[in-house]
Amino acid sequence: MLTLIRRELLDNLMTFRFAAAVFIMLLLVVSNTVVLIKDYERRLVDYNTAVKTHHQQLQDKKTYSAGGLHVDRPPNPLSIFNIGMDKQLGNQVEVYFGFVPTLWDAKMHGSDNPIMNIFSSIDIAFIFKVVLSLLALIFAYDTLAGEREQGTLRLVLTHPVRRGHILFAKYISAMVCLLVPLLMSVSLAVILLTTSTSLALSTDDFLRMAGFILTTIVYLSVFYLIGMLISALTRRTGTALMLSMFVWGFWVLIYPNMILASILPQPTVEARAASTFNQIEQLWEEFEREQEQYLKNDAVPGEDPGFGIGWVGGSMNRLNKDAATLQYYYKKGFNITEIDERSEPQMPYIQNYYQFLVPLTIDLADRTWRIRKPALEKIYVRPALIDRILLKVSPIGMYDAATQAWVGTDLLGIQDFFSAARQYRKTVIDFFYDKNAFASRQWIAADKGVADWRTLPQFSFQRSGISINATRALPDLFLLLITNVVLFVVIFLIFVKTEV
Amino acid sequence: MWHIAKRELSNNLNSLRFALATVLLLGLMLTNAVVHLREHPERVQRYRERVSGHQNNIAAQASNSLYDLAQKGPGYLYKKPSDLRFCAEGGEAFMSDRAQAGYHRWSTDTLKSFWILAYPSATPNLDNVRPDVTKVDWGFIIGYVLSLVALLFTYDSISGERERGTLRLTLSNPIPRHTVLIGKFLGAFISVSIPFILAVLVNLLVISTSSGVHLDSEAWGRLGIIFFVAVLYTCLFLALGMLVSARVQRSAVSLVILLLVWVVFVVFMPSTLASIAGRSTSSGPTYDFSERSWKLHEELSSDYYSRHYEAPEGSTKKIEIDGEYVTKDAEQQEQLHEERLNRRIAEVHRARAITRISPVTIVQNLIESFAGTGFERHLQFLENVQTYVREFRTFIVDTDSADPESLHIFGVRTGMSQEPVSPESVPKFEDTLNLSRDFNTAATELLLLTLFVLVLLSGAYLAFVRVEV
Repeated sequence: MLTLIRRELLDNLMTFRFAAAVFIMLLLVVSNTVVLIKDYERRLVDYNTAVKTHHQQLQDKKTYSAGGLHVDRPPNPLSIFNIGMDKQLGNQVEVYFGFVPTLWDAKMHGSDNPIMNIFSSIDIAFIFKVVLSLLALIFAYDTLAGEREQGTLRLVLTHPVRRGHILFAKYISAMVCLLVPLLMSVSLAVILLTTSTSLALSTDDFLRMAGFILTTIVYLSVFYLIGMLISALTRRTGTALMLSMFVWGFWVLIYPNMILASILPQPTVEARAASTFNQIEQLWEEFEREQEQYLKNDAVPGEDPGFGIGWVGGSMNRLNKDAATLQYYYKKGFNITEIDERSEPQMPYIQNYYQFLVPLTIDLADRTWRIRKPALEKIYVRPALIDRILLKVSPIGMYDAATQAWVGTDLLGIQDFFSAARQYRKTVIDFFYDKNAFASRQWIAADKGVADWRTLPQFSFQRSGISINATRALPDLFLLLITNVVLFVVIFLIFVKTEV
Repeated sequence: MWHIAKRELSNNLNSLRFALATVLLLGLMLTNAVVHLREHPERVQRYRERVSGHQNNIAAQASNSLYDLAQKGPGYLYKKPSDLRFCAEGGEAFMSDRAQAGYHRWSTDTLKSFWILAYPSATPNLDNVRPDVTKVDWGFIIGYVLSLVALLFTYDSISGERERGTLRLTLSNPIPRHTVLIGKFLGAFISVSIPFILAVLVNLLVISTSSGVHLDSEAWGRLGIIFFVAVLYTCLFLALGMLVSARVQRSAVSLVILLLVWVVFVVFMPSTLASIAGRSTSSGPTYDFSERSWKLHEELSSDYYSRHYEAPEGSTKKIEIDGEYVTKDAEQQEQLHEERLNRRIAEVHRARAITRISPVTIVQNLIESFAGTGFERHLQFLENVQTYVREFRTFIVDTDSADPESLHIFGVRTGMSQEPVSPESVPKFEDTLNLSRDFNTAATELLLLTLFVLVLLSGAYLAFVRVEV
């Protein structure tokens, strides 16, 4: 067995294709890692600027109701390995007590030159997806067909070795050969990452990278086995190579791009969006009736929500409405700098009014969220899920999904940020309750004391722990492993049955 | 020679690769046609609605007064969607489909800012959580798939014969080597062309028989050029395949080399080079821009207010000062927007120049140019917009000078003609494509591609003539 492995290993190591593989992998991975680190640094600068600007904007707000809080999503340092959805989805979202923020309400930081996006950028996972699979097939196409052509297979089988052992030895030695360029290039990339000052990597990040590499090895093995299967099925190496290339072209180039184009969009989703949007609008109408009711029943005659006070300053009442993302809420704020002396007796009433109104708005926002959440899942997340399942028919899709889960740039990883933003909204509301902000004068006016933002807890977003990444990545990793086992069993059966 | 070509052809036609290539190309082209038929009518419909909305807008302002038209401007100008979008998607999603010829900034009690021409960025679709994939357009099919197929047809054309020993046999006949080479080239060329032409015909048949999409004669001409580009590009890879095949002893080694070359030049070069070129230069962050714009406006305003209050109330002098302020402000701001646009364009130009090392970028740029999509098309749209804006402004000046009651002072209501304008006389924006312009911009790339083909062909010839059998 060991002799077999050694023979195969020496055979493989001394070939031109091995040298070419090492060279190509190093070239591509190193050059792209440099570019990707640059890109990450640029995004980090954008992020830091945005955080600073948003912080300043909040400090400038003199009343509580005018405070527009924005939270920013930091770029993921491991997006260098697989960019996933990190650049595609919004990276800043407003946290407002009267609205529960989601991914679909997020915006993007400004970019220097949006037209530059016409050039696609590639990540390390893409290099591995394309080149490693190709290399695996190049290493595999002649393992069985080649020996059969040269007649050495017959020779080997005359010795008392079991066919399973021969297969296994071939598999192990080729994998070892393929691991050399893979590990060399990955370790160079990691060295580049650790020497870059802008990237702060934690222990968890190194474990995530380990998960990424593990997945890559399993993926590599799938393609090697595909090549071996083709090699076992064909008589001639030329045919094996040709078939391998077409199989590669189909799975890597064509299938992922074609399958998504050929599925039809579902029309029922739009109907559902419309009906949910209606429901949300009704909730708001109800809320407005309650508001009117309050104004009618309170001690002040008339239904004027301004209570007829004279003031100087700014006010805002904006309806944010988007039927496509089921967004519907009013954003109300006052920034009163001066209040007419004669209106002073009215102030307690207006303060009472907001003490009643704001908790009601918060409650309404939570109720809206309960309707909106399942609808958004249906309209946006489910089609995306179906797409991903279709992509997983190709090993490329499995690999992509698993590596995105490891590095945390998959949809779930991005959504973690938005759950953190939702959690932060609760913190902000608690902060308002603690300060009794709704009933305070500073809610609307800054004439006698301004809003105090100093004790407001800062927003911080921690990427999910490694265990969560692992749980998300395991199903796809498992799928890849199963594919491996199935392929190996099939090859074994074919190889055992064939005449030499 | 024809004999050799025929032999090669019949060899290829019966092979597995021919069948696989045909199936692959047919499937891709069909998908492309179906997707186009699904998406294009919607796109055209949306464009028409927007344009008619824009026309109504102009008509409403024109029937008010000339001042209103001059102050508000023509409004959004829309880019016409190309009928040949299925040939090249061209990153259209990242380029805005409109220009804003009516961007307002401020108004005071007495004055309103004049419109300026602004260039809004494309709004990225942040709602889309679906995985991002390459669009299957002709550019993809030709650039990636056809080139791979061409390599797979030629990698063993010479080394394979050498391995089997038939090359020696062929050359023992009294035929010059270059004839053998050309014969082989022609044979491979025809056998790659057959599946491609078949796929293209099916694609065009599906698209042209549908009622939703209309292709005019110019579009067919453009398709012809695109087809020619595809043929040239195929020749490039056939020549490359033959060159390597002639130099290398074993066909397996030849394929390994070819595949690695292909991966580097076709898959990685374009994006990596563009990233390097793009990241090395930076045009300055966005907030700088708004700050500069604000500062310019402030400077002008402070100067204006001091002069405004000096002038006597109700005099023509005062109107003149007001008018000068408004027009100067609009000029300055518009210049700022244009400068930013030009900086962005220059950056993209630099990045595109570097990526031209890769033949796939060249061919995709060419297809984009002739399909009327992509960056060059965007530049043409911007040029059309700027021409139209000049025309519109001349129209305003001319109409104003035709009115004897007007003071001919632009920027202020009291200084300009109050007469309504007939909406028909207002110039209309037409976003046209100019084939000769497309030719001019594409000429360099076309020549570069031809050069590549010639170099590789002569390389293959030299390699084959010199080599020992």
